[in-house]
Amino acid sequence: MLANLSANPDDKRTLVVVFLRGGADGLTLVVPTEDDHYYKARPRLALGKKDTIKLDEKFGLNPNLAPLEAAWKDGDLAIIHAAGCEDTTRSHFEAQDLMEHGGFVAGGWLGRFLRARGPARSPLSAVALSPTMPEVLSGAPSAAAFQRIEEFSIGKKSAPNFPAELRRLYEKETGALRDAAKNTFAAIGRIEAIDTKAAPENGATYEEKDGFHQGLRQVAQLIRADVGLDAASVDLNGWDTHFTQNLVIDDNIKSLGSGLASFRRDMGARMATTTVVVMSEFGRRLGENSSLGTDHGRGGVMFAMGGGVRGGKMLGTWNGLTREMLEDPGDLPVWNNYRDILAPILTRHGANAEAMGKIFPDYALKPLEV
Amino acid sequence: MKPVSRREFLLTGAAAVAFSAVIFRSAQGMLKDGQQYFGRGLARPVDGKLPPPASGELDPVAHTLNRLTFGPTPGEYGRVAKMGVAAFIEEQLAPETIENGLCNRVTARFCDLWYEPLMEQYDEDEETLTPILRQLTTLRAIYSNQQLFEVMCEFWSDHFNIDPGKGDCRWSKVGDDRDVVRKHALGNFRDMLRASALSPAMLWYLDGHANEKRKPEDKANENYARELMELHTLGVHGGYSQQDVMEVARCLTGWTLRSKRKGGGMFANAKGRSKGKLFNELGEVYFRPEAHDGDAKTVLGQAIPAGLGAGDIERVIDIVATHASTARFLATKLCRRFIADEPAESAVAAVAQKFTESKGDIKATLRALFATPEFLSSAGEKMKRPFHYIVSALRVTNAQTNGDKPVLQFLEKMGQAPFRYPTPDGYPLEASAWHATLLWRWKFALALSNNQIGGTSIERAKLQRQLGGDTALMATLLNRRASADEADAFLKSGDGLALLLASPGFQRC
Repeated sequence: MLANLSANPDDKRTLVVVFLRGGADGLTLVVPTEDDHYYKARPRLALGKKDTIKLDEKFGLNPNLAPLEAAWKDGDLAIIHAAGCEDTTRSHFEAQDLMEHGGFVAGGWLGRFLRARGPARSPLSAVALSPTMPEVLSGAPSAAAFQRIEEFSIGKKSAPNFPAELRRLYEKETGALRDAAKNTFAAIGRIEAIDTKAAPENGATYEEKDGFHQGLRQVAQLIRADVGLDAASVDLNGWDTHFTQNLVIDDNIKSLGSGLASFRRDMGARMATTTVVVMSEFGRRLGENSSLGTDHGRGGVMFAMGGGVRGGKMLGTWNGLTREMLEDPGDLPVWNNYRDILAPILTRHGANAEAMGKIFPDYALKPLEV
Repeated sequence: MKPVSRREFLLTGAAAVAFSAVIFRSAQGMLKDGQQYFGRGLARPVDGKLPPPASGELDPVAHTLNRLTFGPTPGEYGRVAKMGVAAFIEEQLAPETIENGLCNRVTARFCDLWYEPLMEQYDEDEETLTPILRQLTTLRAIYSNQQLFEVMCEFWSDHFNIDPGKGDCRWSKVGDDRDVVRKHALGNFRDMLRASALSPAMLWYLDGHANEKRKPEDKANENYARELMELHTLGVHGGYSQQDVMEVARCLTGWTLRSKRKGGGMFANAKGRSKGKLFNELGEVYFRPEAHDGDAKTVLGQAIPAGLGAGDIERVIDIVATHASTARFLATKLCRRFIADEPAESAVAAVAQKFTESKGDIKATLRALFATPEFLSSAGEKMKRPFHYIVSALRVTNAQTNGDKPVLQFLEKMGQAPFRYPTPDGYPLEASAWHATLLWRWKFALALSNNQIGGTSIERAKLQRQLGGDTALMATLLNRRASADEADAFLKSGDGLALLLASPGFQRC
């Protein structure tokens, strides 16, 4: 089969994976406002119920995530608490490794997902907004780490006639190589047509100096340019809040909330075929520590937005924070395995049952209704 | 100490080679190391005449160089034209006779780690070995004069693919590369298969280490048994059944290794016990009779009597290595690598026949392949895979390179970094898998031509001067005389070197 931009022109589906590196405190992002154990364990860090945005009878959204309230009310945002992986070492490296690989297997789950779909349909089938390739994309048929869209164009500066002369030679070819070049030039044309300075659509705004925002902005530009983007990985770092958590976490939460909301507004109707998944390697301990921070825990929170998610409600299992429910030494357990959350999303993005066996081998999936 | 022969240097004699590497390092000193790190001082010496190809088509010399090597260096065409294709093939089939000083010097600084016993490699930090393996493999492909040997190492690395990202493999893949792939790449297939079956990295990668039967209700782990037949020997339509998979898995119960890394939520075999020893060394492979299914089995119609214990594996390897489907499966893959994505039946049959006749002798099998009319008539019809493309561009421009991250990042963009393929089937051989990589090839061509790749440099003007002008440069790059269109584009593009490296003619092989 040809890797062909036009092979499936109707396939406009893109999966955007946002990884919150450092272990994001799920209990601060999505607060169990009716649970006394939360308030007892966090006398200085807890958020009062009245300060949060009510999600349902048990949970309130962090006020800095207020821009996401509209998506929640529209049923376009699903939240899964007590989510995470099996790792019990509480090591950043071990847990990220496991969560990106999708088990004790080689390659990343996103890479295997793309590989299972066959040859890359575009040189931009998968991108990572980072200086290096994240493990989650390891094994993808084509994956490019970049920081600025301009990196994709071919050098007109040093050799202005280079693209035209190259195109001329490929047009004299026959067969697959000619078609592959034609598709590649089409992709380059679409990338070069992107006005990277243009204002986002629908009145959306991204922070100029916020790397996460600029990453999402460029993903939106690539999606709208129809360059054949199947998957994108964007990181938001700095969640390792052992010390004076509230001083450092608020800006990160603001960046997350306003970034995701801007992206959704910017994408507009394209959000129907675009899913954003937000995950972190683990959540943090229920009890605050003596330096106004929290230490590495187990269960965190995951978000899924767009792409037809069954949102507007809290999904998965929640058993409360009573002492006997916690996992030693006092952590919110992982009641909802991240693979059970990802599986229905990957299915909507084209993975069939056979592919799913390769994406998450050695794991009996119990998919949530995400 | 007796002198170390090249063959020993290449294939065995770990301690001796490590020792010679130390001597070499101290002799060369820190300055050289520094130069190597920055990719300087590593140019292939170019002297004498470098006659490029004169034909407008890929002639048999150019064709042989395109297929048996990762691309010719300047002057290589003239050398092979002079000695003749047949002699070149024989030379390449005897790598131990080939002078390889430059490659040995370039890779010397990795030798200490490379030849360490497995147990010591297990002591390395978990992020240490895999990047070195990737860099070393890239450097060998670029600098080695034992080109066919390197090409076959790549072939077998795909055939017996292990992604070092899985568990213990981050420590044991280097040993697998050394003791399975490179040791047997031009040797005997049965020997290589046996080495692979009990390679610590393979035992981990395909879960063989956890394949055991202690209680009557224990079910064998079929992972390795299935891939052994599906991917390593008979092929998916090779005539084995699910029953055969289960029987092979039973035969292999009991083999394990002392591992370092937890897997599946537990520490498997954190402390091993065998042959009266209390503890095994990390990475040591051993057989546990108490975890072996000792009853009789039947594999592919052949009876394996009860009670052979550790002898079961020898019977299994014999049965699958000599199966007629294995000869055909390997012949098809070799023909796909060296002749065409869809090789003609006549070529596959000839190669399979030689494989069987020679009892899996890889050199004899390759010699038969290169002698088929289908091989000779397939010039220019294949597309280079990304690794081949990048290495051939670096070779033909006589680049100095440290083969480090900036080069690797281009390979990652094209999806073919060494040892990064996640599943056991290895990187695809067919061109269709790689069509979406053209953009990155073009960007690589531009970056190389303009010396914008960190740790890599070319001396464009010098190369052009040594070759004797544009016409010779173009013919050297393309391995044939440039067409009128190519010559025209070369001049008009503003960057002729990049243009030809990006052109369709340089993607083909």
